[in-house]
Amino acid sequence: MSIALDQVTKRYQDQPVVNDVSIEVGEGEFFVLLGPSGSGKSTLLRAIAGLTGIDHGRISLHGRDVTHVRARDRGVGLVFQNYALFRHMTVADNIEFALRVRRMKSAERRARRTELLKLVALEGMDERLPGQLSGGQQQRVAVARALAHKPQVLLLDEPFGALDAKIREELRRTIRSVQRELGITTVLVTHDQEEAFALADTIGVMNHGRLLEVGNPNDLYAQPATRFVATFLGAANLLLARQSADGIRFGATPVNAERAEPVPAGREHEVVAVLRPEEVEIVAAREQLSSNYLARGAVEEIVFTGALERLRIRLLDEPCAAQLLGPSGNGDARLEVTRTQHERRALPLQPGAQIAVGTRRLHILPTPISSFLACAPTEAEAVALAHEPLLESLSTRMKTRVGLRAIDGLVGTPEPFAGVAAIASGSTAANTVEWLLRHGASEVLVLPHNAPSPTRVFIHWTDEPARRATLAVSASLLRHVAAEAVYLGIVPEGPAGMGRAAPMRALLDARSEAQHDHNLEMRTELAIGETVTELTRNLSAGAAQMLVLGITDITQAASAYRSLLAAQPGWPMLIVYRPQEVGARAAPDVAA
Amino acid sequence: MKNAGRREPNVIPGFGITLGFTTFFLSAIVLIPLAALVLKAAGMDWSRFIDVISSPRALASYRLSFGASLIAAGMNMVFGFALAWTLVRYDFPGRKFVDAIIDMPFALPTAVSGIALATVFAGNGWIGQHLEPLGIKVAYTWIGITVALTLIGMPFVVRTVQPALQEVQRDLEDAAETLGAGRFYVFRRIIVPTVLPALLTGFTLAFARAVGEYGSVIFIAGNLPMETEITPYLIVIKLEEFDYAGAAALGCMMLAISFVMLLAINLLQVWGRKRMMVSR
Repeated sequence: MSIALDQVTKRYQDQPVVNDVSIEVGEGEFFVLLGPSGSGKSTLLRAIAGLTGIDHGRISLHGRDVTHVRARDRGVGLVFQNYALFRHMTVADNIEFALRVRRMKSAERRARRTELLKLVALEGMDERLPGQLSGGQQQRVAVARALAHKPQVLLLDEPFGALDAKIREELRRTIRSVQRELGITTVLVTHDQEEAFALADTIGVMNHGRLLEVGNPNDLYAQPATRFVATFLGAANLLLARQSADGIRFGATPVNAERAEPVPAGREHEVVAVLRPEEVEIVAAREQLSSNYLARGAVEEIVFTGALERLRIRLLDEPCAAQLLGPSGNGDARLEVTRTQHERRALPLQPGAQIAVGTRRLHILPTPISSFLACAPTEAEAVALAHEPLLESLSTRMKTRVGLRAIDGLVGTPEPFAGVAAIASGSTAANTVEWLLRHGASEVLVLPHNAPSPTRVFIHWTDEPARRATLAVSASLLRHVAAEAVYLGIVPEGPAGMGRAAPMRALLDARSEAQHDHNLEMRTELAIGETVTELTRNLSAGAAQMLVLGITDITQAASAYRSLLAAQPGWPMLIVYRPQEVGARAAPDVAA
Repeated sequence: MKNAGRREPNVIPGFGITLGFTTFFLSAIVLIPLAALVLKAAGMDWSRFIDVISSPRALASYRLSFGASLIAAGMNMVFGFALAWTLVRYDFPGRKFVDAIIDMPFALPTAVSGIALATVFAGNGWIGQHLEPLGIKVAYTWIGITVALTLIGMPFVVRTVQPALQEVQRDLEDAAETLGAGRFYVFRRIIVPTVLPALLTGFTLAFARAVGEYGSVIFIAGNLPMETEITPYLIVIKLEEFDYAGAAALGCMMLAISFVMLLAINLLQVWGRKRMMVSR
């Protein structure tokens, strides 16, 4: 491996800006770190360069551990967004800077300089001063300067940020060709997905300091695993569908899509479907559709953008209409559609036109958290619960909606619960959790009033069959919270040395499964004692802690965790319930 | 045609007024008094003029005045830079306080600082009593004069270098470091050249101020002819002897030397700036 990052963490004032990131970049690979501003991508790049120290983890370059090596001894070349050229030096002196530092002979320096200027197509510019060059030329000089000492790794920090579109494209091509020609391992940081697609062999998407997904551009675009990647890499419509044992449906309409996680017979699970704007089919009447029918729609807005036509379509309320998630999770979201000129000519449209909408290709996200449902005795209390800061920030970050449900008296047979049911903590919380789980809810979020966003999330499950689902839910939660994940394994007190090996192995298995299946870096701790006592002790050890608890047996869990749920003020708890038989059935699948 | 001779309207109006004001202001405050000085000196006959400006006592005073001023400005360049660096780069308790103290020499009447320095550096003063046994006499020697001139010139350097240092991008240092440069190399090859124009401006201002300084120096100088007598003091002596023409002649000489030196520094700066900041 050319660059290997192992659980790199960097904190500023106790807030992790880079959170447990592990990356491996192969020899000669062009790796693009993509993320919005403030996602920690630039900090990570500076950490690789050695300009920023890290609080935890290891960095190695070409097999050499450089975690504690100074920047100047790491042998990297770094290019900055604002060029960072030495303005009092000529182009020649700038490029030769690294060679002069290394006391290279003048003739050799000149030869290397000429070679580099040719590489970046700036022959004959030797004696210019940076101030006499255009922005694009300056950045070329910066690239040449960064390559002068033949670094093993080239790092580029938003190198096109300060350039206009045309120059940007030209420089992009230059950098790609230089990188190919030299075969140098390269990491580029950008917030521009188009740039990432144009340059990358591999893209790593970061958000809130975490590395969410790594993959080649095609796979990431077609099969994102997370909501964030789906919407950040290109445009995406997120739709809510229902998954049951016999497939996935929008209302009554079956959907031609699959999801790895099965749902037990008799239960339903809400899932998130990704529909790319270009995968939407628009026809005048439903019978003409060549793809799966989604809903009827009305055209609201048409924007001409040259090659493509951009439409916004309001789905008309039919019984089978899909639930559409807007950017902020509200219900009045519109379907984004793009059509080629060819499609446009086949069916010219005006705003207001009524049409039928079909889906050519849908991708179901593996994420187990689809939406939230605030449940309280009265509608008014449910509204208040929906505005709890933690729930509000979670739903905003997950770009999902918070529904409302009055569940007064916990009697009768309610409509099926979709998504994560959220309830207020308190003395009756345990009863409510039990009732919700018995009536179809799979996850329940218990919220103390005004709970802060957690900085540490403990993960625990009562028995091994709950592991898979609990990890999936935890990973989904932690992608949207800047918190540290800690798996807490608890062994009952007993004769030492006996039966300790199995829990230790389970601990390591859990950690590798989290990393491998969910890209979730998780610390593990082993506690000895009574489960609820140990959980309470750990949760009380600091401020802003949270618990994700996986269970398989409602009756047993309801009595065991009653005291934990009744604690005042208590902690945010996310209870994940998967009936025993599914867990047992899912396990062999994984092995296969 | 009425408008034929009119200039193109400027984006910023009022060129006529501002130029007129500039000319008037410069004339009233600077040029006319200086011209009067030159005229006064021109009243003497040539051989007497030469006698006055080249008397051994005058020559010794030039050497002291300009020599001490150069040393003082040089010291300020080094230590003023260090001060500015500390203030810009580090955050420490009391930084604002130190920042405010820098300006004190601006505000203090120079005579007060002169007396204070003389008290502290005299043979029995707080600092003087410790230096005396080492054979270093500060008060009433050229060293004392240099100390006084350093004090009054210090804020000039700090205040000109400070903003320049603030503008040195951290990225430049980071870039140099990834290219393999050590701290000292970065300092010498990147930071110093970048702030050099400001440093030179500060040096010039401190030097010009030191050459003209009178109040603080006379209290610590001792004013021994040929030894610790600065040119401004010599001029005052001439004035007290009612030798106005002699005073004017010495004044002209100071003016000429200062002008040449300042011009040289300015040209050096223009050259440096051209090299560095050709359009950004």
